[in-house]
Amino acid sequence: MKKTQIVLLILIMASIAVLISVFGDFSSYETFASAAKEPKKSYYIIGTLDTAQGMHYDPKVDANHFTFFAKDKSGSKNKVIFNGEKPRDIEKSEQIVMMGYMDGDTFHCSKIQMKCPSKYKKDMVAVGNNG
Amino acid sequence: MANTQFIGEHLWPGQLGHFFVIVSLVAALFSTFGYLRAVKTEGLADEKTWRIFGRIGFGIHTGAIIAIFIALFYIITNHLFEYHYAWEHSSYDMPSEYLLSCFWEGQQGSFMLWTFWHAVLGLIVMKTAKQLETRTMAIIGIVQVILTTMILGIYLGPDIKIGTTPFMLLRHAMQNAPIFAMPNYLEFVKDGNGLNILLQNYWMVIHPPILFLGFALTLIPFAYCIAALWKGDYQSFIKPTLAWSLACGAILGTGIMMGGAWAYESLNFGGYWAWDPVENASLVPWLTLVAGLHTLLIYRSTKRAFILTSVLLLLTHLLVWYSTFLTRTGILGKTSVHAFTGDGAALTYHLVAVIAFLLLISIVAMGWKWKSLPRIKTEEETLSREFWMFIGAVVLFLASVQISVTTSIPVWSPLAKWITGKEFAPPTDVMSHYNNIQVWVAIIIGMLSAMVLFMKYKHTEGKSLAAKLGGTAAVAGVMTGFIAWGQDITAWQYVIMLFSACYGIVATIYYGVAIQKSKFKKLGPSVGHLGFATVLLGILLSSYNKHAISLNTTGVPFNFKKNTDQETIKENMENVIMFRGIPVAMGNYYATYIGDSDVNGKDKRIYYRVVFERKDSVTKKTLERFVLYPDAFINPKGEQGLSANPSTKHYWDRDIFTYINSATDKSKTDTSTYRSHIVSKPGDSIYLANGFMIFNGFSNEINDKRYVAKDGDLAVKAKLTVHNMQGVKQEINPIYILRDKQYIMQVDDTVLAMGLYARFGALNVHSKDSASIDIQVRQTNPMDDFIVLKALVFPYINVLWIGIVVMVLGFFISLGDVVSSKIGMLKKTTV
Repeated sequence: MKKTQIVLLILIMASIAVLISVFGDFSSYETFASAAKEPKKSYYIIGTLDTAQGMHYDPKVDANHFTFFAKDKSGSKNKVIFNGEKPRDIEKSEQIVMMGYMDGDTFHCSKIQMKCPSKYKKDMVAVGNNG
Repeated sequence: MANTQFIGEHLWPGQLGHFFVIVSLVAALFSTFGYLRAVKTEGLADEKTWRIFGRIGFGIHTGAIIAIFIALFYIITNHLFEYHYAWEHSSYDMPSEYLLSCFWEGQQGSFMLWTFWHAVLGLIVMKTAKQLETRTMAIIGIVQVILTTMILGIYLGPDIKIGTTPFMLLRHAMQNAPIFAMPNYLEFVKDGNGLNILLQNYWMVIHPPILFLGFALTLIPFAYCIAALWKGDYQSFIKPTLAWSLACGAILGTGIMMGGAWAYESLNFGGYWAWDPVENASLVPWLTLVAGLHTLLIYRSTKRAFILTSVLLLLTHLLVWYSTFLTRTGILGKTSVHAFTGDGAALTYHLVAVIAFLLLISIVAMGWKWKSLPRIKTEEETLSREFWMFIGAVVLFLASVQISVTTSIPVWSPLAKWITGKEFAPPTDVMSHYNNIQVWVAIIIGMLSAMVLFMKYKHTEGKSLAAKLGGTAAVAGVMTGFIAWGQDITAWQYVIMLFSACYGIVATIYYGVAIQKSKFKKLGPSVGHLGFATVLLGILLSSYNKHAISLNTTGVPFNFKKNTDQETIKENMENVIMFRGIPVAMGNYYATYIGDSDVNGKDKRIYYRVVFERKDSVTKKTLERFVLYPDAFINPKGEQGLSANPSTKHYWDRDIFTYINSATDKSKTDTSTYRSHIVSKPGDSIYLANGFMIFNGFSNEINDKRYVAKDGDLAVKAKLTVHNMQGVKQEINPIYILRDKQYIMQVDDTVLAMGLYARFGALNVHSKDSASIDIQVRQTNPMDDFIVLKALVFPYINVLWIGIVVMVLGFFISLGDVVSSKIGMLKKTTV
């Protein structure tokens, strides 16, 4: 076997190993119930804003604290705390993707992605940290 | 309905534009056909005729594309909102410099830009490709045919649509809207949608053309590789391919980092690079291009690595198409909403078909000549430039595989769900996912980029190599220790990366100065690699110690400690609320929000003035003072909320970067009312929320532009001195006017910084010598005027920008070297 081939083989094996090891980095879409099975582990939850129950944001008290209620795909409702400013237009959102973890009966969320029914504009709005 | 005669439409620019779309498509087909015939008749008398056919076809094609551009530009500049494209992307109030940006905001306009660059580059290839002209131009022609179909907009049957025309009429785009039943509907279409406010920025004017030129440049190495395989001539393609790849590396690299600079400067992503899918989609082709460029160098000098070179350069262009697929079809954004618009689905199939077709061409070209491809049986030496450069190329390729796999999660997740039943999502911490892997790529590539310079092709003398490598490594080691200590870099893998970057810098400078003796023409590789190492250093320094200085200390933090790790919390507590006039400690600074201001004219933003002051801790003297003006559109286009642009203070060694996350809407929150204060003699004072005001008597010498004197007026001004808490004094003079003995008018005076409005309410004459006046004072509550600000410090960000400029310079020096040596080569071969 040639030297190049040996090195290639090693590199490819190493990268396969890397790919497998980072496979655990990949998250998954869950519901409030399934995320609650592993509290404090971060997941994505897809849902909608529950407008029946109020939302609360008072930047004078804490600019990084926004609470609201969301309904997940299975239809169950849960309280959500977002550690950031209230995303604009969340009232109009058709769908919200929340990244965070369950703790007790609240979902702590650090990133929100919304789909708004803006007719002709780029329709995804991401809010949160680190893009 | 079909017979409705619409009033006020300008149909001819659109019809002309569409006509030229068809002309450009037919001409591209014509050109391709001519060039294909020329290849078939190679060496025969007919070849020349067919070649001229091809050239004329391509010339007409280019002319038609320019005509399409002019037609669309005419529509946009004349605000012909009967066209969907103009209505969607432009508006009357848009500053004229952004009219050009309307082109590339939309799907079709950016395809046009891409086509345009291909055509321009095609003309250069036509002029310079010599014996490879027929084949390269045939390939370029095919790609142009494909690209033109993207803006064709032709229906095959009711459901199948090919491309979308930029000349679609508004009434066709929204057929069901009742407004279009009216012949005079245009009277109701008052204005267009305009450019997305996030994109109203000078970067939007220059970034897309450069990036698309970079994308377009990947076509030329692609065409040359196919042409080489097709002809079975594995020699004459080397120099032009090398030159084009260098140009592409420079331009695409510039385009990508302009995107980074844009993100850093104007979009509040909180940085220049976020491993965002859109960013990755343009980085990946650049990585494979750079890898292919280096294997091509190996091939030029040793005749090894031909296959890898072709694979990488062919793949680069395919990846540009794939990145178009990722970013245009909405497949990335959907995360779960699988609803496509009709256009999206058509575009998806269209792009998949294009990628499949180009992939097929590549595979066939390689497979067909597989047995006769240049190969070398013997093994290379371990101490040779080609061996280590080859490894570097493979590492770059593997890095691009990793980035692609994660970026493409939405593409492969349906398949994964079918197999595993789990619905995969992107990593919850995207940044560290990529950083943890790519740091190793950076380390390896950083080291290799310095080491290979000292090696020679085929054989390198071990001893002198070891001496040079060891010497430079020792210097780099000292530099690493110094920086790591000074910048407090402790994570071991980042210390290694720091060493790799320092090593790259030291070694390339040594190589350029001591070994190449600074001969400018030959400095390309060392300058390019120096730039790359500097980029690594800049990334490391600016990201490792990037920190927020706007940590929230005024709010009520909730009890996170028992919940999760501190880091994620810190990330989320970086917003701080600033009430007007109340200083907030930020790092070494005291920052005070002192009010907002809007600017006249077309700029609809509101600028928030934030004063930063650094004081000596002992003497309390102000050492430094500057004002930042982060700005925002409040409730843009009737939407709730705001859209912000950052403001940055640049130092040579760091940037302070601020942006507004939330602000009060003045039109809604000011509920303060006037209160009366009676004063009668000079020296009487009125107490304010944050200061006091002293009455100094009356005067009838009125010198106020707002008051125009009229006969019969009795006008008096009150002389008032306002003192604020900091001891600053300011005179104000509200005016009281009695006109024609019956109408009372007042002219208020204000101290904006204190939110103070004073009004001369009434004049009560008690006797000849005594009078009292009613001074009415209104102060907006400072608690009603606040902003939520995020302030970040990026240390040594300039190192990154300098590195990029140096790297691009390196590409260009090499390009100059290759081009000037190319002339010599052609003289030899064309005799």
